[in-house]
Amino acid sequence: MRTRVIAATVALYAACDGATRQPPPAKVAGVRVVDVIPVSLSGETWQDAEPFLALYASNAQLMAASAFTPNPGGSASGTAPIFVSSDGGDTWTLRNTLPSEGMTADITHAVGATPPVLYSGILKVPGVPLNELKAGDFLSPATMTLQASRADVDQPFVRTAQAASADRVYVGLNDFDAPDGRTATVDVSLDGGATYKSRRIETRATVGQNGPSIRPAVAQDRTVYVAYFGWRATAGSTVTSDIAVVRDDSGAGGATPFRDLLDPSDHLPGRLVATRVTIPWSNAPTLGQERIGSTLAIAVNPLHSDTVYLAWADRVGTGDIYTVHLRRSGDRGATWTGDLRTVTNATNASLAVSANGTVGFLYQQVTGSDSSSRWVTRLEQSRDGFTTHQDAVLATVPTNAPPLQFLPYIGDYNGLLTRGDRFLGVFSASNAPDSTNFPQGVVYHRRVDFATHRLLDGSGATVAVSIDPFFFSVPVLP
Amino acid sequence: MTTEGRSGGGPMYTRSAMFLAVLLALPGAAALGQMSRATLVKQSDIIFIGTVTQVGAVAVPEVPASDRTVVVHVDQVLEKPAAVALGAGDSVTVQTAQPGSLKPGSQATFYTTGWIFGQGVAVREVGHEPGRSPVVVADQQAAVARARLEMNDADLKAHIQKAAMVVAGRVEQVRPAELAGGAPAHRTRISEHDAQWQEAIIQVQDGIKGAQAGEQVVVRFPTSLDVAWVGTPRFTVGQEGTFLLHKDSTTGSPETVIAGRSVPAYTALHKSDVLPKQDALRIRVLMRKP
Repeated sequence: MRTRVIAATVALYAACDGATRQPPPAKVAGVRVVDVIPVSLSGETWQDAEPFLALYASNAQLMAASAFTPNPGGSASGTAPIFVSSDGGDTWTLRNTLPSEGMTADITHAVGATPPVLYSGILKVPGVPLNELKAGDFLSPATMTLQASRADVDQPFVRTAQAASADRVYVGLNDFDAPDGRTATVDVSLDGGATYKSRRIETRATVGQNGPSIRPAVAQDRTVYVAYFGWRATAGSTVTSDIAVVRDDSGAGGATPFRDLLDPSDHLPGRLVATRVTIPWSNAPTLGQERIGSTLAIAVNPLHSDTVYLAWADRVGTGDIYTVHLRRSGDRGATWTGDLRTVTNATNASLAVSANGTVGFLYQQVTGSDSSSRWVTRLEQSRDGFTTHQDAVLATVPTNAPPLQFLPYIGDYNGLLTRGDRFLGVFSASNAPDSTNFPQGVVYHRRVDFATHRLLDGSGATVAVSIDPFFFSVPVLP
Repeated sequence: MTTEGRSGGGPMYTRSAMFLAVLLALPGAAALGQMSRATLVKQSDIIFIGTVTQVGAVAVPEVPASDRTVVVHVDQVLEKPAAVALGAGDSVTVQTAQPGSLKPGSQATFYTTGWIFGQGVAVREVGHEPGRSPVVVADQQAAVARARLEMNDADLKAHIQKAAMVVAGRVEQVRPAELAGGAPAHRTRISEHDAQWQEAIIQVQDGIKGAQAGEQVVVRFPTSLDVAWVGTPRFTVGQEGTFLLHKDSTTGSPETVIAGRSVPAYTALHKSDVLPKQDALRIRVLMRKP
């Protein structure tokens, strides 16, 4: 085993954002960035994109992560892996516990109550049907148990809430078999995943479907918000969409859930935070080798459910490729601010709100141009609606290397959560061992030689640079 | 060390080619138990020769010790995925198939699947070949390699038997797929997992199974770069090969049109469905085998 800790050396770094030269990124105290790939997989070269993270509320040391990481042994065993950490993210192990041939085609997950039950929604390989899975203890090496399955579903996105009697599970998904083209759906389980009911949340006419991202967020008082794209028209590869939020004030346990937030324009459920925005739908390399079209995130203050943050990406039309917007509501979604942050040529927005009300805003942005452009992964946090904010650059890597193996290149989403006084998250980026790529420092457990910027396999031979998942921990602003 | 594709396996698979001579146990036929060596190889990702150093113990903190866990000193790795860092001298935690089946000091060839990868490697035993000294590693290396070839041939033969058509030929044309209106893949649907189907028209030069030379067949294939289709064979005009074709049960539109005629559509979605043209002879030989 070999661990290399790289001290941040920021003097060599200079970020270019458009034509404006930015100062070097600041070193933020207490930040940890860890390459999730363990030393025993030092030879891996896969594109471990689209990472996700789950935390166990009762034990800060336990967490699970995933990415498009294959079973190192191939597909013959019929299982795919997740990563597990039992030391707060300092080290990770890969365990083949998902019932999917070698890899999944989508995966998110969340942890329930004691013992650390893990709920996961995957698109299973082959055939990519939705599988809603459960592990009684995510530290167990046993294969996760199938609880529900069906075809014609996209982007399952899992959140959980702890109730007195049983875990509540909310799986946002795009269900192509939903009637009338109103495909935005939340599969709700009130009994620890034993049974699910598909709840349709779109109440307006669509172009024949909603966008793929259906994102739930749950507060401790059981308020559940769900953000979705209301696709209203298409022209070529451009979609005209509303950005909508529904809310349920009682955990979506009623007969007609998600109808507690109406829009004043038509009095239908689903507050229209933005209307008729332009979504560039591109299932081809478009932004730094990445595809675009489905960036959407929502987070609620866990202790004060009146406050909710929303981020999405669209094309503004000012020469941008894809622009992320961040807004806030302080009155349960009834009214919303204008953009608190507008980030050009960015994607993979993720949000979390800490117990003290600080919001964390994770995103990945392409800066610079052409061969010198870079993927910059940032965590911003603010306690004053982004009048001021702290900016932590977690990684800055070339956009043109390594070459893509498939799409998504780094992911259609990443993961951000909070626990105690930390923001915890995962993102995917080039694993080129160059200290200037990680201004906050980085820990690799896989074998590397930073002096020569080489990855090494078990025998010491050079390994090609690839995309790895990186875990990070950032102190919440006090 | 060589790296090669493995039928039905993961993206990369490495087979150790080191031929170091060491003393170890020679497998006896009776020691294989109820599984043949070929079956053990087929079910295994990681194969190594090793010596049991501890029973009821583990070498990695992530695995709880039990009466089924043993620690094995690796004497020689025979096969492993390229991603896995494992070599002679390492200690591996093995979850045995049967408690009490291995004693400290036992030498064996371990047939295993990867289980937990962290600071070390933990594997699940498929089986092992206990033995007696002396023998050279090269003998076992060769035996495992032969078994792997046998299994690859067996897998390919089974794949041939499942194929509706096997042809050697050349791709004459690639065109957008015309799917029937009711087909799921044809519904108005925008998804990042959309296959983006196209059709390759193959001129059959050698009809090995279910076709004759001179025919044209239509093969549907995804052009999407999405992760759901990674590793799926693609077709380009002028491409030659030996193709194992299956009736299209994926798109929901089983027929297509060629020269104004309605004909069955085929798919070739497994990486073993598209082989080099010179593999036609190998396929004929396999088809003749009982």
